[in-house]
Amino acid sequence: MSPRFRMMRTTRQIAADVDEEIRVHLEMRIADLVRQGLSPAQAREEALRRFGDLARARAAMSAADRRHLRRTRYRDYRQEFVQDLWHAGRQLRRRPAFAAVTILTLGLGIGATTAVFSVADHVVLRPLPHRGADRIMALWESDERTVEGRKEVSPGNFVSWRERSQSFTSMALIEPSGFDLTSADGPPAAIRSWDVTGGFFETMGATPVLGRGFLPEEHVPNAPRAVVLSYRLWQQRFGSDPRLVGSAITLDGAPATVVGVAPPWLTYPEDRDLYNPKHWYPGEENDRESAYMYAVGRLRPGVTPEQAQAELDAIGARLAAEYPATNTGLRVHAVPFPEQLLGDVRPALLVLLVAVGFVLLIACANVASLLMARAAERERELAVRAALGAGRTRLVRQLVTESLVLALLGGALGIALAFAGVQVLVALSPPNLPRLEAIAVDGRVLVFALAITLLTALLFGLAPALRASRPDLLSVLRAAGRSLSGAIERVKLRRLLVAGEIALALVLLIGARLLVRSFVTLLDSDLGFVAENRATFQAFLWDLNPMAEQRLQRAQAIVDAFLGTPGVEAVGITTAVPFHPTQIDPMSNLVVEGRPAPATGEEQRVSTLIASPEYFRVMGIPLVAGRGFLHTDRLETFPAPPDAARVALINQALARRLFPDEDPVGKRARFGVMGPPQTWEIVGVVGDVRPRTLDSDPRAEVFVPLAQTANGSLTFVVRTRDRVADLVPALRERFWSAAPNQTIYYEATLEQLIAHTLVERRFHLVVLGAFSVVALSLATIGVYGLIAYSMSLRTGEISVRMALGAEAGQIVAMVVRDGLKLAMPGIVIGAAGALLLTRFMRTMLYQVAPTNPVIYGELVALVLVVAMAASFIPARRAASVNPATALREE
Amino acid sequence: MADSLQLLRGTLDVLILKTLAGNRLHGYAIASRIAERTRGVLGIDDGALYQSLHRMEERDWVESEWGHADTGKRAKFYRLTESGRRQLRVETANWLRYAEAVFRVLQPGAAT
Repeated sequence: MSPRFRMMRTTRQIAADVDEEIRVHLEMRIADLVRQGLSPAQAREEALRRFGDLARARAAMSAADRRHLRRTRYRDYRQEFVQDLWHAGRQLRRRPAFAAVTILTLGLGIGATTAVFSVADHVVLRPLPHRGADRIMALWESDERTVEGRKEVSPGNFVSWRERSQSFTSMALIEPSGFDLTSADGPPAAIRSWDVTGGFFETMGATPVLGRGFLPEEHVPNAPRAVVLSYRLWQQRFGSDPRLVGSAITLDGAPATVVGVAPPWLTYPEDRDLYNPKHWYPGEENDRESAYMYAVGRLRPGVTPEQAQAELDAIGARLAAEYPATNTGLRVHAVPFPEQLLGDVRPALLVLLVAVGFVLLIACANVASLLMARAAERERELAVRAALGAGRTRLVRQLVTESLVLALLGGALGIALAFAGVQVLVALSPPNLPRLEAIAVDGRVLVFALAITLLTALLFGLAPALRASRPDLLSVLRAAGRSLSGAIERVKLRRLLVAGEIALALVLLIGARLLVRSFVTLLDSDLGFVAENRATFQAFLWDLNPMAEQRLQRAQAIVDAFLGTPGVEAVGITTAVPFHPTQIDPMSNLVVEGRPAPATGEEQRVSTLIASPEYFRVMGIPLVAGRGFLHTDRLETFPAPPDAARVALINQALARRLFPDEDPVGKRARFGVMGPPQTWEIVGVVGDVRPRTLDSDPRAEVFVPLAQTANGSLTFVVRTRDRVADLVPALRERFWSAAPNQTIYYEATLEQLIAHTLVERRFHLVVLGAFSVVALSLATIGVYGLIAYSMSLRTGEISVRMALGAEAGQIVAMVVRDGLKLAMPGIVIGAAGALLLTRFMRTMLYQVAPTNPVIYGELVALVLVVAMAASFIPARRAASVNPATALREE
Repeated sequence: MADSLQLLRGTLDVLILKTLAGNRLHGYAIASRIAERTRGVLGIDDGALYQSLHRMEERDWVESEWGHADTGKRAKFYRLTESGRRQLRVETANWLRYAEAVFRVLQPGAAT
């Protein structure tokens, strides 16, 4: 009967009782009045008169009765619930091993789920803190002419967009920059900053938590320098001192007034130390080459992202017509900010969330299976209770309460584990995961944990409770506690649960194995250089060494200092170390001398790099043809005349593109290296390297000698005999001995740089791997528990078989076959599920199809072996039974 | 009943509680006894009496069950619960104090 129907019935019952009570009263009153001599009609009238407002009394009585009933019922429930709680507690204390396994299983499931949820929740599920985040658009360009495609924004194009578009209320340009921060009480620090145009904070929907953003007059050239600190720098370097706002700090040796502190969540395009008003240098608004800046815009109300994109497309097409040399092949992209920020991480986090959901389901199935085994032992107790008059709903409630107690204990353990788990996840998590700083187990996450705890109680508790609450009374009591028919039905249900566990575990195993394969393939991929025992130090020599000759001397002095360190074998210099996050990486058009100038838009775009003669040897990049750089490849004066002899090396990718059938050595080409084009003679070809990540393809590169450019944005690569990481502090000291007051902008070993690009993949791998191992373990326990249980039911049968001459081996084989039969449906469903689900992992994979048959085969085999192993132990035990003893016990 | 006194709020409850003290009665019997004791001075609607009974049942001061009257007819009987008895003691004390105070003011010869 539905509660609603029951309520209706009792409502009607109450009304009938009230009417009956009133009727009895009136009858008695009339009888009395008639006895006093009134006529029946008069008596009736008098009785009604004395009763007063009958309708009102009737309504009030019924209402009071209904309230009374509700309250009593609630009180009864509460009392019974408390009884059930005590009872559940007693049950658990009586079976400590059962309780421990159950609570641990649930704790693991709930803890893992809560931890992953709290990461996913903070990173992708919660709305962004930016005011009107969905009105913010990230603006960038792509270039069809390059391999990588994506590029950022040039100041010239930004100015054109801002002037010509109507879709935005504001637009801001963001330029990466850096300062040396000096103070009396600490060493000079190289800090990373953003130069931002006016309206940046408004466009980003970010109000400084202290102070203010920039005033228009602070963007004027030569205005006194004002800066906004990042929240992190303010905390870490200035101890969150609120009085800092309005006071001055020293940047590049000059005072700068701190006018505000940015909110902690403002980390786009990436987390940097401070914001500085961008000052335009003369002519910069026409620079359409330096596409290394970032742009954002705020949509005008009523304008859709599609409309903004269409307008920018039109502007982009006009710009391409007006400035064909720079803008041909460029496309403008306006991407809603939340998608820009979270688009890359969302699919992976959702995969992890689904994976952890699987672990939780397996945990629930295992606990349900355990509870059913327990229910068999308790069948007699329940039958007695039923015989003593406990209704079915009452028994279900009692059993569900027990599940609830288990779930709450598991949930408490889970929350404790989640606190630790979140720390682990954050420690493992990749740097591109935004909003990491906010991740914590908080109220919202706790509510989630409680909700899944209750859900699990329902999931694992209800089926066994419903099954157990309908004991076959007579047979149970008669069979003195052993009802085979009930047990067999329960085994069927448990087989279903265990099959489900195996299916879920197999999906996770296949997913994790695909990640492992991707990872191994990546690690095996040829870098094109040697990473072991190389340390890199990036520094910007310009400020302290303004003259070209000074820079070259300083660079040589640093090299000599490194070489004087014991254990150092060689030192090279470049502007763009592969895998380096802040490599200086400009591009140029390249024209081979003697060939017709390519049509506009058809130019060869190449990456231009600068290197010292030793760089290639230090990196282990092979010289494929011609000669490498020599120390005699230099210029006598800076700036040198245009016709001075200049030499260049090209990599194989560029050689293939430019000279598929010719020898490049001796050819001459015109291109610019961070400056106007010059003519360079190609003297050799070097091997290709992967430029950014293990899955990035080699790009077209041209190298020119450091001694012919005197660049100051340098990365020193130091090759040591061994244990490079141990040498880094000593190397740092040597660096400063040769270049006092020079800040080191970025310091890392090559292996660290590579590891850095793998953090995201490693995160997915470790988390999914851990989940799949937990899932397989739980499923194994499930198989083992079920086989052991059904063996205990079949002791008699097996004894008879053995008494009739069956060998122990035959018995073992029979049981193991049973285990395989148990696993088969799970394996089929799991493999099918993996075929369906792994496609959502495509972005996380590298050079492996999500349907790779070998991997599926391996893991199906693994699960089969595990299922066999899990049934082997109970099989051995069954086969070692002494038939005579067992039969006597029956 | 225009000439009978209007009941003060809560008074009916205490009258019923008192009537039920030590007795198990149906509604009509309660009404009859109160009318008898007050000699009909207090004008009590039978409807109000029943509303009061049900309200007090909701508060667990009285409990009820169906039974048979002396005439053999089915009727709903009421009796005090433990908390009803407590309530009666409290209300009685309050009432006496209240009446005493009012009486002291109203009695002839009291200071004005």
